[in-house]
Amino acid sequence: MLTNEEIRKLVDVETGDVARKIFVDPDVYQQELARIFGRCWLYVGHESQFKNNGDFITTYMGEDPVIVIRDGAGKINVLLNSCRHRGMKVCRKDEGNARSFVCSYHGWSFSNSGELLAVPREEVAYCNGIDKGDLGLLRPAQVDTLHGMIFANWDPDAPSLNEYLGDMKFYLDLMADRMEGGIELIGGVHKWIIDGNWKLAADNFVGDMYHVPVTHGSAVGIGIRKPWGDDGYQISPGNGHGFGGEFGGLAEGEGVATPYTPFIKKVRENLEKDKGDYVSKIVPIGHGTVFPNFSFLDTMRFRTFRVWHPKGPNKMEIQAWCVVDKALPDELKAAVRQQYIFTFGPSGVFEQEDGENWSQCTAAAAGWRGRQDNFNYSMGLGREREASEVLGHDLPGKIGGMWSEINQRAMYRRWRDLMAAESWSDLA
Amino acid sequence: MEYAFVRGIEQFLYREARLLDEGKFQEWLDLFTDDVRYWMPMKTTRDATSSAETTDKELAFFDDRKPTLSLRVKRLTTGMAFAEDPPSRTRRIISNIEIDALSDKEVEVYSNFLVYRTRLESVEDTYVGHRKDVLKEVDGSWKIAQRKMIIEQNVLASNNLSVFF
Repeated sequence: MLTNEEIRKLVDVETGDVARKIFVDPDVYQQELARIFGRCWLYVGHESQFKNNGDFITTYMGEDPVIVIRDGAGKINVLLNSCRHRGMKVCRKDEGNARSFVCSYHGWSFSNSGELLAVPREEVAYCNGIDKGDLGLLRPAQVDTLHGMIFANWDPDAPSLNEYLGDMKFYLDLMADRMEGGIELIGGVHKWIIDGNWKLAADNFVGDMYHVPVTHGSAVGIGIRKPWGDDGYQISPGNGHGFGGEFGGLAEGEGVATPYTPFIKKVRENLEKDKGDYVSKIVPIGHGTVFPNFSFLDTMRFRTFRVWHPKGPNKMEIQAWCVVDKALPDELKAAVRQQYIFTFGPSGVFEQEDGENWSQCTAAAAGWRGRQDNFNYSMGLGREREASEVLGHDLPGKIGGMWSEINQRAMYRRWRDLMAAESWSDLA
Repeated sequence: MEYAFVRGIEQFLYREARLLDEGKFQEWLDLFTDDVRYWMPMKTTRDATSSAETTDKELAFFDDRKPTLSLRVKRLTTGMAFAEDPPSRTRRIISNIEIDALSDKEVEVYSNFLVYRTRLESVEDTYVGHRKDVLKEVDGSWKIAQRKMIIEQNVLASNNLSVFF
């Protein structure tokens, strides 16, 4: 455990210096599990995955395995996937439908809303002395949703989801609430392991357009997009969240037209009439991260959600989905799905390169000399402006140019403040 | 089924694997028909009664037709496909070949694969799975008209899929 004073020295937002130690150190990582993942609102699923009572998926909150399930009354529950007796996972499937879960170790059974229903040989083994009412599956203190996105939080003292998202909610509306009927996930989830620290991925999505022309330069080489200009933005709405892209929509341009492009342009026109002319500049809203580890891409080709699950200081599991408007015609859903798989996911011609970057950054920062240095996040320091000055319409947040690390600085500021706080009230 | 017929198909698959291991990607691409679907659904852990593979309306690790498969090959020549530049070193073991003849000129072929990939100093990945191909005879040579591949892992244990199967 590092002292709060030690933690504060690791991130200097005035200079953009962030200690490499935070990407490789086991003690920092253990503290993150408690003070970041034990406190923050974490994305656990989308309501479109739970069409019927009993539908469930399994995922993680930090390193804690959880079941997300719609119970017999239609309510979404998030349950720690660990039997209260000896801790065995009570559900060992990725997804399915269940009225109850029977632990395969000793047979304790739990309802799909988490109550302990029965324990084998209760009468003779426990002499009927066990308090089943107190031994339901553990659950987060708070669960809430936004546009069907389900978030959960272990900390009863954490602010509400609404307050936690703050001004980011205004922009998430532009990403997830564009059409009647809302969004849904296409079935199936890409899951893969990268030997890198989870923050490198969250930081890449929160504000790193700078890597794109280099890391993903091969996309220009094969003609699926035009070369990158300099005309874009990074917006930091506060609380460590952020997003950014190219003005006119990430991946706009003739080199990338897909059958989806005319559709998204039409959606944008309608939205613009409703909200104002800034919409044509920043919708689709590009790359972004909701602190700590929920990221998205919203582009002219597709949308994706992804979670960077921590698996140790130098390992993460990525879970990634393709997201569409429910009202999108079936043939366009199919086209978006294919375009997504071609460009993103482990085989994606854009995403193949990211994994090696993050694993080698982590490995090369782990040496004795290397870990004493800092990563440099100084890009765009001192050039932040109010988003409303640049885009009008009282838009919330601060804005930097396309090549600015404003969002990473805000993310690590939030990380530092949470890591160095004893509780949410201490933070305020 | 004539031994020579079986042997010819086995030799075709071994030669295909060698082209990939030797980095002859354009020659490899020429083994596919123009209407090929190159599809790798994913293994999931679901109820025993439902499919353990993602369907063709769901995500997959690959879902290419010839145009996008060609772009994947072209990408390797851009000088910016860093996931394969420097290139991985691969060795493919193809086995358990079974053949169902659909006609004289069309066969379904089942095979298992072990693709060992190592790159840079000591990165190592082992992809184990199976395939179901439809081969068609075109102008006296076999071409791959459909390829369905499965890697047996649930959570893919490598940082990308930058090699072919």
